[in-house]
Amino acid sequence: MEERLNMEKNIILVGVGGQGLITLGRILGTTAINKGIKALTAETHGMAQRGGSVTVHVRIGDVESPLIPMRRADAILGLELIETVRNLTYANKKTILILNNRVIKPQIPKIKIPETEKLIKIIKETGLQFKLIDALKLAIEAGSEITQNVVMLGALIKTNILKDIMNLKDVEETIKMMFPHRIAEINIKALKLGFEA
Amino acid sequence: MLHPILSPPGSTVLLMGNEAIARGSIEAGVGFASAYPGTPSTEIIETLSKIANHIGIHVEWSTNEKVAFEAAYGAAISGVRSLVAMKHVGMNVAADALMSSAYTGVEGGFVIVTADDPNMWSSQNEQDNRYYGLHAYIPVLEAYDPMEAKEIVKYAFQLSEKYKHPVIIRSTTRLSHSRGPVKLEETPKIKIKGKFKKNFEKYVIIPSNARRLRGKLIEKWRKIREEVNETPFNKYVNNGSNILIIASGMAYGYVMDSLKILNYRDKVNILKISTTVPIPEKLVEKALREVEKVLVVEELEPIVENEVKRIAFEREINVEIKGKEHIPLKYELNVDKVVEGISKLLKIRNPLIEETIKIEYEDTVPIRPPTLCPGCPHRAIFLELKWAAKRMGLKEIIHCGDIGCYSLGAYQPFQTQDIILEMGGSIGVANGLAHTVNEPIISIMGDSTFYHACIPGIINALYNNTPLLVMVLDNRITAMTGHQPHPGTGITATGKKTRIIDVEGIAKGIGIRYVKTLDPFKVNETIEEIIKALKYVKEKRETAVLIVKRACALMISSIARRRGIKAPKYQVNYEKCRACGICYNQLNCPAISSIENGKATIDEYLCVGCSVCAQICPFNAIETLRKPSDEWEQLWRRD
Repeated sequence: MEERLNMEKNIILVGVGGQGLITLGRILGTTAINKGIKALTAETHGMAQRGGSVTVHVRIGDVESPLIPMRRADAILGLELIETVRNLTYANKKTILILNNRVIKPQIPKIKIPETEKLIKIIKETGLQFKLIDALKLAIEAGSEITQNVVMLGALIKTNILKDIMNLKDVEETIKMMFPHRIAEINIKALKLGFEA
Repeated sequence: MLHPILSPPGSTVLLMGNEAIARGSIEAGVGFASAYPGTPSTEIIETLSKIANHIGIHVEWSTNEKVAFEAAYGAAISGVRSLVAMKHVGMNVAADALMSSAYTGVEGGFVIVTADDPNMWSSQNEQDNRYYGLHAYIPVLEAYDPMEAKEIVKYAFQLSEKYKHPVIIRSTTRLSHSRGPVKLEETPKIKIKGKFKKNFEKYVIIPSNARRLRGKLIEKWRKIREEVNETPFNKYVNNGSNILIIASGMAYGYVMDSLKILNYRDKVNILKISTTVPIPEKLVEKALREVEKVLVVEELEPIVENEVKRIAFEREINVEIKGKEHIPLKYELNVDKVVEGISKLLKIRNPLIEETIKIEYEDTVPIRPPTLCPGCPHRAIFLELKWAAKRMGLKEIIHCGDIGCYSLGAYQPFQTQDIILEMGGSIGVANGLAHTVNEPIISIMGDSTFYHACIPGIINALYNNTPLLVMVLDNRITAMTGHQPHPGTGITATGKKTRIIDVEGIAKGIGIRYVKTLDPFKVNETIEEIIKALKYVKEKRETAVLIVKRACALMISSIARRRGIKAPKYQVNYEKCRACGICYNQLNCPAISSIENGKATIDEYLCVGCSVCAQICPFNAIETLRKPSDEWEQLWRRD
């Protein structure tokens, strides 16, 4: 492992079980390692397969433990807006937010959920730099609605937060390595659409 | 695609802690591996099961942790290196065999992996299984990242074989489910066949032998206590400070990252302990003698702390030792908590609490509990249970629940799990309640749980004239841990065909007179059958069994996608919909939501076509767009 003294990047991926957050963590971690840089990732989620809150921590560089401390995220990649607001505690003044413009209702009968506009207002009022993406639209354009996660990854790469570690081409290589040809093709298209968004 | 753990030696791959443990066992020449699935341990044996045929080793899902433990022990006493994995509470199930295995010892290396769950991410308690090591005289090793986990497995096998003694590796959710770079090394030739050498004095622990073995165990333990002082995984760094931080397992990573934040990495002495049980006494003594103040950082119980205090007391070392005073006893550790603890010890300010941003929460952010998947057969049966009770005018039914996806029935709107204690508790607890209360008792368990721990409880119920209804929710797989096969599936862990051991046959074989198998996707029929069964129990005062059989929706929809089988399609007819909300409130399917006027809408991406909403709609407003095909029907049944 190449040691880059003190370099440390913390990306937190938040959303709902089934949105492909863990796969994103694997893609980011694998890409870093392929570039000879240490990466640790962690998943926090509850007992079920689907539907609960999920956060995936991705730490790259000089790190010895997998959980990002509060207020130490360089970026929050939010695949869902309620989960994004829930996890704003990981942000500091320099944190960049890359957000999927989507709200998924928690599966509680008769629950009132905050409106999308309200959630965006809360996010705006933090004063943090953020970018909203319609990942579902781009994912469908790429060929499958389940590639929303990779669309968002493309948008993350575009921000340059990880520019010293990986570029779009590196992520493409990882996707080709991890998935069968046909699935990789759709995902690479999704990645590029997210990058250009 | 080749599994990453089979990448060529020399390569560095991103592995989950559990995959790293699996790889470590292969690099140690493991020939036999077993487990019962349990989060966060499952992926250890799952990974091995995927490559077992490729490398020619025996890997199995056993019916429960006790059997898994005994099977691996059996392999080990024949000289084959073996590994058994379980979640922390699984070790309670295996504890009987565990305690005595230390008396007999083994022949081939025998490694027991326990994956503890600090914070109870997916468990009923947060017991610290390092106590089992102290309790049973079995060494406990802890790693702090996936790379070290792989290496420590290899060391565990060496240690085990050297002393012919079992060795425990304690992982945690955070280690098991973290991913990190792991460098692969050569794998040795694997020994898959051994020879059992009969040895009456060693393996037959009748009291006369047990007494002798107890003496030998204590002698062996003395030697192991010496040995661990030489372990390469225990590491002492003297930075010339008068402060020492001792960290075990995952805590070491948190300590190193915390010291980086505090800019103290080279300003305190650090003792990393990987052999938590027994503790490396000489190393601890040396480190204690070189400082005035000590902080022990470990997750959950003060096991290292108590040992360090004992050593200081016995060897008359005058040093201030802090542990749980600064580091929380409950829940999972993280950098935030450790920075706070070290800041207190050093009497410096905690830099992490000063970097806040403004967040205006006008409303509280709604919680998001995990939920049953769209089309989950458990959702159907829970609704049917509630409706059956309503039709019978029963206000109070006690639902004795169990561990599985169906535990989610405890939440709204179902609330059909009134007690959940442990695996098999549904039937065990019902055996008591049925004799002491007047309400009808329903014992609800899954298929995998039925094989795991429920069969003796059902026998007990019948034997003791216990009036209760047993419902086995048979979704044809061990679903919650990620779809592992079980004795009812006809497939082994490594994909070999085997006999199906079916629930109905067992229930009838035990002697239950009232046994029926139901299809939960036939709503009215199922409700009628539940009513009949409850009446039977009430009238005959004996145990009845209903098997509710439909495959896991998540598994079926993924197979259907792969095979190109189209799911049936349903759509709300807005002319007919009266906005009653039964489908989205009472069935609470994630694929159905309400639109502004209260009418229902079905998300075509989420719906898997179970048809239950269409059956329960009082206005027949949910219409079939595409009828279920024969292939689709067959897929769901999975007989």
